[in-house]
Amino acid sequence: MNTTKPQSIKTNPFLPEPARIVRTYDLTDDVRFFQVRIADMEKALSFRNRPGQFVMISVLGAGEAPFSISSTPSRPGLLEFCIRKTGIVTDALFRIKENDLIGLRGPYGNGFPVDNMVDKDILIVMGGLGAAPLRSVLLYCLDNRDQFGRIILLHGAKRPAEMIFRDEFLSMKERDDLECYLSVDEDDSGQWTDNIGVVTTLFPKLESIDPANTYALVCGPPIMYKFVLKELVNLHIPKDQILMTLERRMKCGVGKCGHCAIDYIYTCLDGPVFTYWDVLHMRELI
Amino acid sequence: MRIVKLHKSNLMSFLEEISQESELWAPVKKYEDKHIFKNIEDFDQIDLDYTRTILPPKKLLFPPSFRMYEATPKKFHADFSHISKKTLFGVHPCDIHGLLIMEQFFKQSYEDPYFSEARKNLTIIGHSCWPDEHCLCRSTQTHIVEEGYDLFFTDLDKNYLVWIGSSHGDDLIQLKPDIFDEDVTEKDIQQFMRWREERDKAFQSEIQFEAMPDLMELKLGDSVWEELGEACLACGSCTSVCPTCNCYNVRDNPVLGKEASDITRCWDACTLENYSAVAGGENFREKKSDRLKLWYTHKLQAFISKYGKPACVGCGRCVATCPVDINIKTVAQSLQGEKVDAFWRRLNQEVTQ
Amino acid sequence: MKKDKVKIGIYELTGCAGDALLILDCEKELIDIFSAADIQSFAMAKSDNIDGPLDIALVEGSVTTEREIEEIKDIRQRAKIVVAIGLCATVGGIQGRYKPHSVWEADYKSVYGETEMTHTKPIQSQPIDAYIEVDYYLPGCPIGKDQFLNFFTRMLGGNPPEKYPQPVCVSCKHNENDCLLTKGEFCLGPLTADGCGAICINHNLPCVGCWGPIEGANYTSEYHLLKEKGFDPEFIKKKLANFSGTKIGKLIESIEKERP
Repeated sequence: MNTTKPQSIKTNPFLPEPARIVRTYDLTDDVRFFQVRIADMEKALSFRNRPGQFVMISVLGAGEAPFSISSTPSRPGLLEFCIRKTGIVTDALFRIKENDLIGLRGPYGNGFPVDNMVDKDILIVMGGLGAAPLRSVLLYCLDNRDQFGRIILLHGAKRPAEMIFRDEFLSMKERDDLECYLSVDEDDSGQWTDNIGVVTTLFPKLESIDPANTYALVCGPPIMYKFVLKELVNLHIPKDQILMTLERRMKCGVGKCGHCAIDYIYTCLDGPVFTYWDVLHMRELI
Repeated sequence: MRIVKLHKSNLMSFLEEISQESELWAPVKKYEDKHIFKNIEDFDQIDLDYTRTILPPKKLLFPPSFRMYEATPKKFHADFSHISKKTLFGVHPCDIHGLLIMEQFFKQSYEDPYFSEARKNLTIIGHSCWPDEHCLCRSTQTHIVEEGYDLFFTDLDKNYLVWIGSSHGDDLIQLKPDIFDEDVTEKDIQQFMRWREERDKAFQSEIQFEAMPDLMELKLGDSVWEELGEACLACGSCTSVCPTCNCYNVRDNPVLGKEASDITRCWDACTLENYSAVAGGENFREKKSDRLKLWYTHKLQAFISKYGKPACVGCGRCVATCPVDINIKTVAQSLQGEKVDAFWRRLNQEVTQ
Repeated sequence: MKKDKVKIGIYELTGCAGDALLILDCEKELIDIFSAADIQSFAMAKSDNIDGPLDIALVEGSVTTEREIEEIKDIRQRAKIVVAIGLCATVGGIQGRYKPHSVWEADYKSVYGETEMTHTKPIQSQPIDAYIEVDYYLPGCPIGKDQFLNFFTRMLGGNPPEKYPQPVCVSCKHNENDCLLTKGEFCLGPLTADGCGAICINHNLPCVGCWGPIEGANYTSEYHLLKEKGFDPEFIKKKLANFSGTKIGKLIESIEKERP
C-alpha cells in the first residue's frame, strides 16, 4: 500500500495540545470556573491570545467545543474559563477533576481590537454568561490601566447567587480607576446592597459619556442586546465602536467546517467579535 | 502551455504505465445512466463516455468520513493513513474548477494538512466532455480550464490533444515519450477549433450568474424561499454531490476496551435539521427555508462577492439529484423571474389552490 | 483508584428480540463488552440474572400487556438511565402501526374472539415512553452494530451520543447510489433515520423506513411527490404508517390538510 508518511506537515491546526486542569470551582449553580495550563511548559508560557478570542476544548470520549477565554493575556501561563453546563462536552467538563487532562487548541477568532481601543473610554456591558469573554478584556484594560481613558463596567445578573465572578466584581467597586455598577433583576437573598433592576437601569447612573471617544463592549443573552443596543445608540456611540461577541455552532475553529458561517463570514475567523454595524448589515447575525 | 498528440490506440498502455506508480481512478459505469469515479482494477471498466459522476472528485481529497487523529489522555496522534498516491483520469473541466475552489478554501488561513497532503498525492488528468441538458458550465465559465491539472485530454476522434499543465504532467509524458507526438498539425488545430465551436453551441441552459449577488440580496425576503422550504426534504443530497460543498462534522468515537477515541471528520450538510443547533437547544436555522437560503447565499452571492466567481461550477449534479427539483437551475430561474417547471413549484401551487 | 463497573441490564418486551440478538452478535467485541461493564441482566445471553439497581437499562420491544407495564415501570425505578433500543421500543413497532378509523379492542376481538387470557391482559401496543420517561433512543430494526457499540462505549465513559439525526439519503449518497425516488420508485429514505448505512438501496431496493421516522421529516412533500409519481394516496399513507409506530398517525392523517 502506498501509505504516505507525511514528514512535511509541521502544523496540524486540528490536533489539540494536552492541558491540565489546575483549579476548578463553582461560580454559580450551573457555571464553573476552570483554570487550565497547557501540559508542555514551553507552550504554556508562549501561548498568546487577544481578549475576546476562544479556544477549542476537548474531553476524551465526549467531543470538542468552543469556549471563550476569560483570563487576560497580560497574566500569561494559565488560561481561565467560566463554563455553563449545557451539553455533552460541558457535562463531561463538570465531571472532570483537578489535575485531569483535557485537549486544547487555539487561540482562535479576531478578539477585541485592543490596539484601536487605546486612549479611548471603555464601556463594558455584560449580562449572565456574557461575563466570560468580557472579563478577559476588562482585566486586560485594568492591567494596562494607563493605556485607556475611563473604564466603566455594567454587569447584570438575574439574582445575586447567579452573578458570575460576583466577589471579584464586588471588590472592584473599591477601585477608584474603575466605574463599576452591578445590578440584579431581583434580590432573593435580602443582602444585595447594590442596584436592583435589569442592566439598562444602570445607564441613568452613568456620568456623561463622550460618545465619539468611547468603545462599548457588549455580551449577554439575546434579549439583553435588544435593550442595551438601544441605550448605546441613544448615547450616540458610533455603531462601529459598539462591539459584541457572538456564539455559533463550531466544529473546527479554523474556518473549515462551515457551521459558523453567516453569508461568507466565518464567526470563528472574522468573529466572534463583531461591530453593531456588522450586525445591522448581516441579516442572520443576531 | 505545451500541447502534444496521442493516438487513441496508445491510451491504455499509457494508463497502464501510470498505474504502476499510483492507484488509478477513472469514471466507471455504475448504473445504466450513472457513473462514479472508481479505483480501476480492470482497464476495460473505464468509460469515458459520461457526463457527470454521482459524487464529484472531492471525495478523493476529502473523503465522506475519515479519522483525523486518535486521542488518548496524554497524546493526540494524527492519522494520514487514508491518503495514498492516486491518479484521477477523465475529470471534466467543471470538476477541475471544483477542485480548485476546494483547494483555495482548504489552504487559506489555517491550511488543512489532510486536504493538502491528499492533494499533493493526487495527479489530475482532465478530459473533454459534451454537455447535456443539465450542464451550466458555460454560464459559470468553467467549461474551459487553464490550470489545476497535470494533463488534459481533448477527444478529437482518432487522437487526443494533450495539454501539459504542470511539470509533473511532463514527467508523465516522459514515462512513455514514444507514444506522444510533438507534431500537432494545422489539420489538428482546425479540428479542435471546430470541436470547440460545436461544443459551445450544444449548451441548452443559461443562467446570468453576474446578476445573482444583487438578485439574492433583493429577493432574500421573497416568498419563493418559503415555497422551497415547504418542498425541501432536508435529505442533504445536494450538499453531498456539490463539488464546492465543504462542510463537515467532527465526531468523537471512543474505542471499546481502550482509553482512546477515534476523532473522525464526516461530511455534513447545511440543509440538515441540526446543522446550526448549539448546546442548550438553540437552533439558529430551524426552518428549512433559512437553511436553503444559506446554501444558495453561499453558491450565488457570498462567494461571488468574495472571490469574483460563483461557488457553482455548473456541473448539474444538484439538477440531476434533487428529488423535488430544488437546484441551482430552478432557483436561479425563479430569481430571474422566469417560469419554472419544478416539483417544488407544483407542490406549492397545489397547496395554495 | 478503581472505578466501579457500570451496571447494565438488557431487557426484551414484545418484539422479535432482534436487538438483543444484535448485541450478542457483536462477537469480536463481546469479551470487551462483558469486561467493560457489569451486565446484571441479559436473559438471551446468560442465566443468574439479577433484578437490582442499574446504571443503564437497555429495553427492546413495545409494551403490549398489562404485565409489561409493570415490568417497564419496575425497570425505570431501578435504572438511572433508560434507553429504548430498536423500532418497537422507540415508536411502537409494526405491532403499534397506525391504522386510521380502527378501534383496537374491536380488531383484537375479530382475531381472538372471546378467548380468555389468563396469564396477563393484552393491550394496544405502545412504545415504552407511553408509560415511562426515556432518556435516550437508539432506533433501528434491528439497531446497528456500529451504532450500538458507539453508543455503548460513549455511555460507559458517561457521555451520551451526540444527537445528530440524518436521513438515510446521507449514507445513500455517500455510497453513490442512484436515487430511487428520482427514478419514480417508492423510497422512504428522506423520512427515515439513518444508521443502517442505506443497506437496502445499496442493493437496489428502496427504503421501507424500518428505522422509523426522523425528526423534522417532510411528510407532506414526500407524500405529494409520491402522488405525482403515480402512487395511490391510500397506498402511500399505508406504507408511510408501516414502521412509523403510534406517534406519527396524526401527522399522516393531516398530510393533505396541512397547508401553510
